[in-house]
Amino acid sequence: MLLIFLKRLLQMLGLMALQVLVCNHIHLFGYATPMLYVLFLAYLPLNANRIGSLLWAFVLGLSVDIFSNTFGAAAAALTFAAFVQWPLLQAWAPKESVEDMVPTYQTMGVWNHIRYLAVLATVHHLVFYLLESFSYFHWESLLISVGSSLLLSLVLMLTIDSLRHGK
Amino acid sequence: MRSLLERIEQWGHWIVFLLLEVASLVLLFRFSAYQASVWFTQANALVGQVLEWESGIIAYAHLGELNQQLTETNLELQQEVDVLRHQLAVLEHDSSYTERLLARQIADCRRIPAQVINNSVRDRDNLITINRGTLDGVRNEMGVLCGTGIVGIVCQTGDHYAIVLPVLNSNSSISCRLKSTEYFGYLKWNGGSPLRAFIDDIPRHAKVRKGELVETSGYSSVFPAGIFVGRVKRVLNSDDGLSYKLEIQLSTDFARLRDVVVIEGGLNTLNTVETPKTLK
Repeated sequence: MLLIFLKRLLQMLGLMALQVLVCNHIHLFGYATPMLYVLFLAYLPLNANRIGSLLWAFVLGLSVDIFSNTFGAAAAALTFAAFVQWPLLQAWAPKESVEDMVPTYQTMGVWNHIRYLAVLATVHHLVFYLLESFSYFHWESLLISVGSSLLLSLVLMLTIDSLRHGK
Repeated sequence: MRSLLERIEQWGHWIVFLLLEVASLVLLFRFSAYQASVWFTQANALVGQVLEWESGIIAYAHLGELNQQLTETNLELQQEVDVLRHQLAVLEHDSSYTERLLARQIADCRRIPAQVINNSVRDRDNLITINRGTLDGVRNEMGVLCGTGIVGIVCQTGDHYAIVLPVLNSNSSISCRLKSTEYFGYLKWNGGSPLRAFIDDIPRHAKVRKGELVETSGYSSVFPAGIFVGRVKRVLNSDDGLSYKLEIQLSTDFARLRDVVVIEGGLNTLNTVETPKTLK
């Protein structure tokens, strides 16, 4: 139990550092900023505690918020994505998978896994940019931001994922 | 009671989800005001510390570039110091009689101060490059002097640089005369020591003494008359034996030439300038 907690904590800190120190400085074409901390949700196992994942997501989102001056937008978005994550994983996990299955290419199948990551990232990015744009609402730039950031995040997430788990 | 617990278990994640969302939304709207948000933003001490580390690391990564810039600046400053020190030395220098005389003689000519940037004394046909060109007003066939006497004649000009044909070149031929008796001849140099040159064609009846002063004759538009050239060191017979050949101890030390003056407009009495026909 403690081991799992420490592992989560490390994952969280690692992703947070990656986001704050590297990704926040990327503004491709002035719009696209990758948000790789969504990967945290992707590594939650099938039998993860729902409330636990919500809390983790909230804390991670809030810490990212603090570092990038976004006042709770990331926390809200990531919590929302965490809420969606559970039913999503239940629905798309293969029937014969073990109880504490961690979603990867091998355990879920390539197509299923990409689909899973894509939906998580889309939900998060949509909520994040919607909340952020409350102060400054402009449809076109909102769509461009969501689209380009989502694309960039997805590409990077898939890359990291395939590096982590190999083929 | 039991059903309540069950219900909580069943709906717990909803409750937590809503609570967290509300919390973040409160943060989002409540802390949009700058003053209240200090704790939740980069102004937080911990956050500040982390960001400081980050910028420290980035600064470290840029050290190489910074170093290079510093080296360049250093070089530049060093050069400036050299130039200034030299100027100071020139200003503080106690001028000799020759220099004062020279200054008086060329007072009404247009003077262009220049510096020698390339020089040689070892070849048979030496050339000097100076750091002034046509844009500074230097033209072909202008005379070049230094503090102790003549140097040569400008023979080629570029926009910013000019080449001077000095006395120490076999093509050089400057009209000179003996100061006391005004017999004149052409100053020639044909290799050998950079400290001595020769004047041919001094007639037999001229009484030439050792140590006599030699100056420019002013028979050309290049140099005004009376600019110090050197002293007679030896009186020799010319090759054909019909006249004297004077060995002249040059006043200018070409081997450590640095500051020179390009002058324009000597006396325009006789325009028979002996200029080099070809160079290289």
